[in-house]
Amino acid sequence: MSLMYLLALFNLLASMNADISYADPLQELTASLPRQVMGWAVAGEDRFFDDQTIFEYIDGSGEVYRAYNLRQCLARTYSKAGSPGIVLDVFDMGTSADAFGVFTHDTDGEAIAIGQDARWRNGWLNFWKDRFFVSITVPEENARAFEAAKELGRLVALCIPREGSRPKLLSHLPPQGLQTDKTRFLHHPIVLNYHFYLSDENILDLSPQTDAVLATYQNANTSARLLLVQYPDANTARKAAENMRRHYLPDADAEGISRLENGKWASSRLKNQMLIVILEAGSRQSAADLVREVN
Amino acid sequence: MAEKRHVITRRDFLRAGACVAVGSAIGLPLIGKAASAAAGQSRVVLIRHDGVVEASGNVRPDILAAMLDAAVVSLLQASEAAEAWRTILKPGDTVGIKTNFWGSLPTPPELDEAVKKRVLAAGVSTSNVAVDDRGIRSNPVFEKATALINMRPMRTHHWSGLGTLLKNYIMFVPSPWAYHGNACESLGSIWNKPEIKGKTRLNVLVMLTPQFHGIGPHHFSKTYVWSYGGLIVSADPVAADATGAGIIQAKRNLFFGEERPISPPPRHIEAADVTYGVGNSRPERIELVKLGWDKDILI
Repeated sequence: MSLMYLLALFNLLASMNADISYADPLQELTASLPRQVMGWAVAGEDRFFDDQTIFEYIDGSGEVYRAYNLRQCLARTYSKAGSPGIVLDVFDMGTSADAFGVFTHDTDGEAIAIGQDARWRNGWLNFWKDRFFVSITVPEENARAFEAAKELGRLVALCIPREGSRPKLLSHLPPQGLQTDKTRFLHHPIVLNYHFYLSDENILDLSPQTDAVLATYQNANTSARLLLVQYPDANTARKAAENMRRHYLPDADAEGISRLENGKWASSRLKNQMLIVILEAGSRQSAADLVREVN
Repeated sequence: MAEKRHVITRRDFLRAGACVAVGSAIGLPLIGKAASAAAGQSRVVLIRHDGVVEASGNVRPDILAAMLDAAVVSLLQASEAAEAWRTILKPGDTVGIKTNFWGSLPTPPELDEAVKKRVLAAGVSTSNVAVDDRGIRSNPVFEKATALINMRPMRTHHWSGLGTLLKNYIMFVPSPWAYHGNACESLGSIWNKPEIKGKTRLNVLVMLTPQFHGIGPHHFSKTYVWSYGGLIVSADPVAADATGAGIIQAKRNLFFGEERPISPPPRHIEAADVTYGVGNSRPERIELVKLGWDKDILI
């Protein structure tokens, strides 16, 4: 065990206070987080935001976290004289599925082994583990601070004792040609429209109660975008399928396939309470095949 | 969902060719092939000074004010700044100065001050001028404003691709999130609302230290801003934004060493032109006047 991890353990023990009653998982995690890393130390008070106050902290993209049912966000800064600060944001998303979902919103960057999945770009580390999505940013170029940010990420991940499950809906995706790093899990039309603009209205009746997966496929000769939506009940699923047909694929043929104006192919099919939508496929055959391969 | 209303879908844009990024001269995807809806040309002044931002990051208010004056003189082809401002505003006007308070890259307070001073010098009474951002919907000056001045720094933005002059008016609507669809393409519609349309007398796109890329929840890193030392000034927000977008795109390509399109594509700039008729986005409809420092001008 490295010195750093022993220090983290020490910090964890030192920070524990018998008078604290842990009201929720984020409070409990916060109490265990390291107070120092590689010379950077906690500066100022921790701040907490919920789904109503998140915009006071994150302008604009705060909507992303709300779209994944944000419970709470911890905002903490670490500082070191003469060096840029390090900003730690820990988002309690309530479920591991939503922590995973937020992570899939932006999967650019270098994959590194922290938490359950992590990415590093110059100045930004993010990862998910259990019900938490963690973001660590260094707002300017500094090699030492970048290393400290990664080390902080490792320590934070160690403070989260459990791993979480990925959404079950992912298991329905056909594996052949699936671009896993471009797979998005979502609930909200604003997120769907960000990655693949479909409509100005919520024609698929997406909601916190619906799970959706937007997947990208690339095979030797063709590419495709597939959307799966799992509805909470058969009635909602049926209405969404009807809406999809009426508003997006009114010209679908007997097999449910339409040719789009850009020459690509689209189709939809309801399977129990899951709507399968081929948003775009390079050929009619690939659209038909992909629908059939969804298990 | 209203049954009789036509729901706009991706296929409507496919029909219009909107989702095919054919690319215009400024590197933006074309919304359509229709000509600009706004008539004539739009004059845009880009003014730069290598000393306006000090090495410390502080803004030199004297240089900034001189740049502003020179830009409005050129824009309005006036003989002096005071005359230019008197052309823009009348003493009886009530003037809302729409600034931007975004913490990481706000409109410089020095610019707020400089503009307010010039508005007052044009004869507008103190009680009829306000500088505001997030409080504009409840600000009495903005509620009764007869004239608006719009100014903000240009930066990349999570939902709209770019934080632009057009986007700066999103605080006029009660539900800004309702405009996030399709990369905020419908932002131009805000400018056609009766309480806003025709009131904007001047747009100042702040390019002192623009942001050309964003990362993380806070979408900000000093790595992705640079000291450009510019202001883009125009009566046409679309033309000013299109000019700024071209500079941001050029900087991205230079920094990353490859073509790196603004993401998501800032469709709202051309949509404001082609769909909403707010102004001109196409280079052939923009008369660009460049003043001052021209090193690494990128346009």
